[in-house]
Amino acid sequence: MKQCRLWANTIFAFTLSVLAFLTFSCFLTTSFNTNAANVVVETSDHIVKSLFTPYGERSDRGYFALSLQTDLEPIFNWNVKQLFLYLTAEYKTKANRLNQVVLWDKIIPRGAKSNLHLKTIKIKYPFYDDGNFLKGNENVTLTLSWNVIPNAGLLPRIGGSGSTIVSFPNKYNQ
Amino acid sequence: MGLLESIPTHMDYHGQKLAEQIFQAVIVVFAAVGFVWGYYCEQFVQTIYILGAGFALSCLLTLPPWPIYRKNPVSWQKVVDRSEVTDTPSGKKSKRKDRSK
Repeated sequence: MKQCRLWANTIFAFTLSVLAFLTFSCFLTTSFNTNAANVVVETSDHIVKSLFTPYGERSDRGYFALSLQTDLEPIFNWNVKQLFLYLTAEYKTKANRLNQVVLWDKIIPRGAKSNLHLKTIKIKYPFYDDGNFLKGNENVTLTLSWNVIPNAGLLPRIGGSGSTIVSFPNKYNQ
Repeated sequence: MGLLESIPTHMDYHGQKLAEQIFQAVIVVFAAVGFVWGYYCEQFVQTIYILGAGFALSCLLTLPPWPIYRKNPVSWQKVVDRSEVTDTPSGKKSKRKDRSK
């Protein structure tokens, strides 16, 4: 029986090596995909308030209603487990050269509906500024990006090809 | 337990070589077929299932000591009776009589 155990071990180890090679080949078949898609981002009802953050600072907080349309179905293939979508607001202020805030995210597993038509939804995370520079800010860019989570291989982050600019009014809405 | 002891549990050297070639070939063929099938139906899990089936088949074919793996038995020399040998051709080793005498 010792011979049998040794043989079983050999066969199993060989199978695992072959499986590793197959997994690497699976990665190779999708490693040159661009994973790009068009996105339409629209917003409405922009208001800004001056509020206290959870850390005790008085900062600007922006609000708007969000609409998203995109078709992500072509990105899914046999090497994609799920997509992690996130909406980023990017802008420049006197205090910081670059601010990036994630306002909304969504996980789309393979097989779920990937044709998004979201109309006037609320953003998930509060849009606080590091300071008081959202009031009157004319140039906040909203971009939808996604992180492709594969079965085997790299995790690329792709920006959608559409974005929109949000301007906040010049006075607080209290 | 005479029956259990009489079941042979080993393969000879040519048989082992044949068994190794068989399991490697079976697993590689199933892996190739599984990869193509998985690519076609866009599900990597199918590739894994087919490879698992190849593993099971190769275990079935090579783990038990089937008779084909015992076609070239090692030809051992005949058992030599100690009391008959006096000197051997090599001259180095010679079986002696019982040393207690």
